[in-house]
Amino acid sequence: MEALIAIGAGIAVLAGIGAGVGIGIATAKSAEAIARQPEAEGKISKNFILGCALAEATAIYGFIIGVLIIFFL
Amino acid sequence: MDQLNCKTVFEVPVLGGISESVVVTWIIMAVLVIASILLTRNLKVENPGKIQLLLESGISWTNDFFEGILGKSNRRYIPYLTTVLIYLGVSNTIGLFGFKPPTKDLNVTAALAIMSMCLIEFSGIYKNGVKHWMKHFAKPVAIVAPIMVLEIFIRPLSLCMRLFGNILAGFVVMELIKAFVPLIVPIPLSFYFDIFDGLIQAYVFVFLTALFMTEEME
Repeated sequence: MEALIAIGAGIAVLAGIGAGVGIGIATAKSAEAIARQPEAEGKISKNFILGCALAEATAIYGFIIGVLIIFFL
Repeated sequence: MDQLNCKTVFEVPVLGGISESVVVTWIIMAVLVIASILLTRNLKVENPGKIQLLLESGISWTNDFFEGILGKSNRRYIPYLTTVLIYLGVSNTIGLFGFKPPTKDLNVTAALAIMSMCLIEFSGIYKNGVKHWMKHFAKPVAIVAPIMVLEIFIRPLSLCMRLFGNILAGFVVMELIKAFVPLIVPIPLSFYFDIFDGLIQAYVFVFLTALFMTEEME
């Protein structure tokens, strides 16, 4: 049972893959956008942080499920 | 592992157990109140001191930031959002002083998110009236109404979970690192997990609250 709980928590944390890929793409695009138009940096970085916060939420949900599995099963 | 639990510090006869996060919040409140009383004494119009200039630039930064999102006509919400920003900024970085951050407790972030939910809905109703607020659920087509109603509760849920999860994740990682390598290695990681991540999350929380308010006030 212990081993199964550990495996379940590990699988739940796989949700981080999506967030990693998403934030990576967002960072690449925002760096490109700033390189093209340096004067719009303020607006771009504001949107970038917003997008990162929203994309990161999925990773956080995975982490919370992992913690819940470890502590409440 | 017992670092993760939110311990009950002492019991009050009528109200029940007082948890650790509440005590740390009281400490933060005391520090912030005393600091704001001390810092705002002796404000001058003519040749202001260094502290006053610093305060003025900070306040004008937050005012510009929120005004850019909310618009000029909704200045009345700025003090609340600034207060939440300062409180979250201090409480997320308080791990540096050896306290456990109160935002690591799900109850604290849930309370903040519920306050945000009330503010978001109130701002929409205050601006456009109850009738418009009831109508806006069926805005593009009537069939999306259940999803729009669910959105009222999903927005604070995701705000609450995002803040709680980030701070708890940072806390867990820091505790693990401190258990494995107690020397030197935690220092650069503490800069990221305690300072950078905490401030970014405080920023994101108030930013999203303000953004949802503008969305609601359209």
